[in-house]
Amino acid sequence: MIPREVVVVAEHVAGELSDITLEMLTCAREVAFPLGWHVTCLILVDDPKPFQALPLASDRTLIVTDAPLGSFNPAAYTRVLLHLLKDLSPRLVLLGNTSVGMDLAGTLSLGLGAPVVSGCTRIRGEGERLSFTSKLCGGKLLARTDVGDGLAIALVMPGSYNRELGMVDRVPPVEIRASPVSLEALPVRFLELVEPKTEDVDITKVPILVGAGRGIQSRENLKAVEDLAEALGGAVCATRPVVDQRWLPRTRQVGRSGMTVKPRLYLALGVSGAPEHVEGMKGSDLIVAVNTDPDAPIFETAHYGTTVDVLELLPFLTERIRASRGR
Amino acid sequence: MKIAVILRQVPDVVQELVIAADGRSLAKDELTYITNEGDEHALEEALILKSRHAATVTAVSVGGDEARDALATAVAKGADEALLVSIPLERRGDNHGLAAYLAPAITSGGYDLVLTGVWAADQLDAGLAGLLAVQLSFPYVGGLTAVAVEPAGNRATVHKEFPGGRLGVMEVSLPAVLGIQSAEQPLRYASVSKISQAKRTMQVKEFRGSLPNVEGVHVSRLTKPEASAKADMLQGDASRVAETLVRILRERGLV
Amino acid sequence: MLVGAESERPHEDATADFLQRMGKLPSGEKILSCIQCGMCSGSCPLGYAMDYTPRRMISALRAGRIEDLYRSDAIWLCVSCFNCTFRCPVGVQITDRLIAGLRVDLLSRGVGVPSELATAFERTARYGNPFGESPKKRDAWTKDAGVDIRVVRDGDSAEVLWWVGCFGSYNKRNQKDSVALARILTALDVDFGILGSDERCSGDLPCSSQGEEGLFYELHQKNMQEFAKRKFKTVLVGDPHAYNAFNKEYPRLGTPLPVRHHTQFLADRAPELRRQMRKEIRMKVTYHDACCLGRRNGEYEAPRIVLETIPGMKLLEMPRNRENALCCGGGGGANWLDSFIWQRTRVPLPMQRVQEAAKTGAEILAVSCPLEIPRFEDAVKSAGLEGRLKVLDVSHMVADGMGLLGGT
Repeated sequence: MIPREVVVVAEHVAGELSDITLEMLTCAREVAFPLGWHVTCLILVDDPKPFQALPLASDRTLIVTDAPLGSFNPAAYTRVLLHLLKDLSPRLVLLGNTSVGMDLAGTLSLGLGAPVVSGCTRIRGEGERLSFTSKLCGGKLLARTDVGDGLAIALVMPGSYNRELGMVDRVPPVEIRASPVSLEALPVRFLELVEPKTEDVDITKVPILVGAGRGIQSRENLKAVEDLAEALGGAVCATRPVVDQRWLPRTRQVGRSGMTVKPRLYLALGVSGAPEHVEGMKGSDLIVAVNTDPDAPIFETAHYGTTVDVLELLPFLTERIRASRGR
Repeated sequence: MKIAVILRQVPDVVQELVIAADGRSLAKDELTYITNEGDEHALEEALILKSRHAATVTAVSVGGDEARDALATAVAKGADEALLVSIPLERRGDNHGLAAYLAPAITSGGYDLVLTGVWAADQLDAGLAGLLAVQLSFPYVGGLTAVAVEPAGNRATVHKEFPGGRLGVMEVSLPAVLGIQSAEQPLRYASVSKISQAKRTMQVKEFRGSLPNVEGVHVSRLTKPEASAKADMLQGDASRVAETLVRILRERGLV
Repeated sequence: MLVGAESERPHEDATADFLQRMGKLPSGEKILSCIQCGMCSGSCPLGYAMDYTPRRMISALRAGRIEDLYRSDAIWLCVSCFNCTFRCPVGVQITDRLIAGLRVDLLSRGVGVPSELATAFERTARYGNPFGESPKKRDAWTKDAGVDIRVVRDGDSAEVLWWVGCFGSYNKRNQKDSVALARILTALDVDFGILGSDERCSGDLPCSSQGEEGLFYELHQKNMQEFAKRKFKTVLVGDPHAYNAFNKEYPRLGTPLPVRHHTQFLADRAPELRRQMRKEIRMKVTYHDACCLGRRNGEYEAPRIVLETIPGMKLLEMPRNRENALCCGGGGGANWLDSFIWQRTRVPLPMQRVQEAAKTGAEILAVSCPLEIPRFEDAVKSAGLEGRLKVLDVSHMVADGMGLLGGT
């Protein structure tokens, strides 16, 4: 049997490989290893130096270079990938279910004539068949998709795989090539990367976080949440909807399009647990969730939970913690 | 400048989702629909652009009867035109089919910008925006939080979200498809009487093509995740729970 | 925060349009009879924070300057307490025509609408309740009531049709009082039933006084359809806001309903209540007059009659009682606008009120409106009165006296 190839399309920002890339490598190995398939980590970049010595968990690292590939540009990436992937003819291509991967999925699917499955939390190879599990409707549904022979493209949901297994103890063989296609006259140009303003707290560095979701109901209830965070010696963070309503700044946003945090304690208050948020806090050491809906998806991720009303719980909790700390 | 906004109707998760007897789809009679949140942001962004430039906004709603309600709301908010694209329930989550189906309707409109959300809650294959862009031969960038169009109208500068709160500033040639993550302003309100009025007076164009024989992905099985399978649920009223919780935190050295 | 959407170009003479529209509504034309005495501004509990008090609003209208009012925050500071309207010597319908009318305009333009309020409206329009909860779960609270609560379906009848309301159905704290009332009705052998998931917002709270007229009319239509499917003698409501909708607004639209608030219903049966009392509750109680029951509908005595059936109870009065009661600050949509309002005012109204209650020496602050419970309970905590003042609904206290509360 010819060993097949799994290609992981790496994501990177400002010279650093994103966590999702490592998760995809873990996923790729999990699929490939039992079947004797190979894993290629494909990195499109302008300067290969930050990446060529990385001990990635792939069988080889293929770095394709050209100036316009320095920062993510969907038009540049798709042009290169369509050419490369036709050449490589893999069985499975992994993209991140992120603002990078989602820009590429459609073009690659139609350009390569391959099905694409998004929101994947698990991929399994069963002989010739690949089986994908995805979350839909805010995590309330699980869909299983099977793809027989031929190329399949999957978007891996961040937080689904262990990123630590994406790096190993040796550097795989590295191949560096120039882009096989010209990247002139692209309809999209990357101008600049803007870092978030850092006057605010860096929530990725705070060991205790209290996450406010829509369930806290109104901005004025944030005060009680802040009181609790203060009593715990931690900081307040929030889900996207709370930030979108401008109740807290974007620097406090946890989730797919915000920060990924791994505090010692994450208290999720009134958070439903939609995958986009969970992927940003799944790695927390201890997760406690408060939500009046017993079916809220957050309870699948949390270690402890309660359906008591968060607004009722807050004053009791804050008071007892203050007492405990002798304040 | 002509802007099209695509509004998909997706299952409303406030109502309990019931899986149909075939084990692969949702039970029809229990289903209610709501406009995809990302698409609402796309509409808001389009209306913001309309207020800055001399632009017309065409709301394109995809779905069944409930799609008409979405059009009325869009018109009440300020959309100039309404286009209804009917599609049977079974095909609604399939963006490949949808993109192929929509493309001729969008092409004939001569739009400079096509805005829609980045993804829909019920999608399993790739996002509609990217697929539609390929069908239209337009460039596509998604995950946007701001769009600015040059006065000459042939380029747009966009802000694309990256993890960690970073923003990429990019330039896109028009015409283009743009995937809106969130609009520059909170969603505006449309009063019920304005929506009712729009329902009565709006002229809805309908698009009926032949459904392409394209399927994005085929669902083998649909299930609900085991509810509360993992968390250890704390019992009692607020006071009891607070007590228990503080004990747990103390045991872990967190308090 | 205010949704800063772009506005359409304002009408050439928006003031004239506004006044013309007012003229077509019952007593709307009275706006022009204002004698500028300032009684309204003086009696408004938040008048001090308004750049345009009611008197100045009318003055601005006379000067053709409605645009100034559209830009003012004052329109959203009104908590619908009805103090101004109650005292106006000329009968200007300030709350329900002037303020509501200005809100209608702002909602219609989509400009300057606080987003929390917009969300509450959208949810009410879609799910029939402002919380965004599933309509199918509206009567889920009856499962643990401990008594049988019949759902009156299409074609059925009941002597008393109990309109539970959004708060009584979905809000965890208020559900306890719904259970209490259900047990009282059962003990009194009343033939009652609820509408279950066919019930939706009565329309008053999020709608008529807040300018979402379109939503109010839609709800009215749907509700009347549901009423028409059942036979009943009385509509019983727990929420004074629903009482106001059914007692004042529905007749205006040509569909009067035989409605009683639960305190009135119980007051009518005071002798029977007394007979069924099992416990003495030796506490000092002060009663807070709900704006929708009191000033708006003139009912001050029924709740007091009911409280006096409870043996051992001592009723004390706050200085501002009956028509002078200080609003809890939750009406007119303000329940969703606390952040907005409290950023612009001094001591929040509920805090002032609980302090006033505590000063009477009372141990219990009795209320008859579901909004007041969470508002006053929060205020008791913020004012440091925990342990000194309890906030209880009249129905809870009656049920307690009747020994019906075990197992809640």
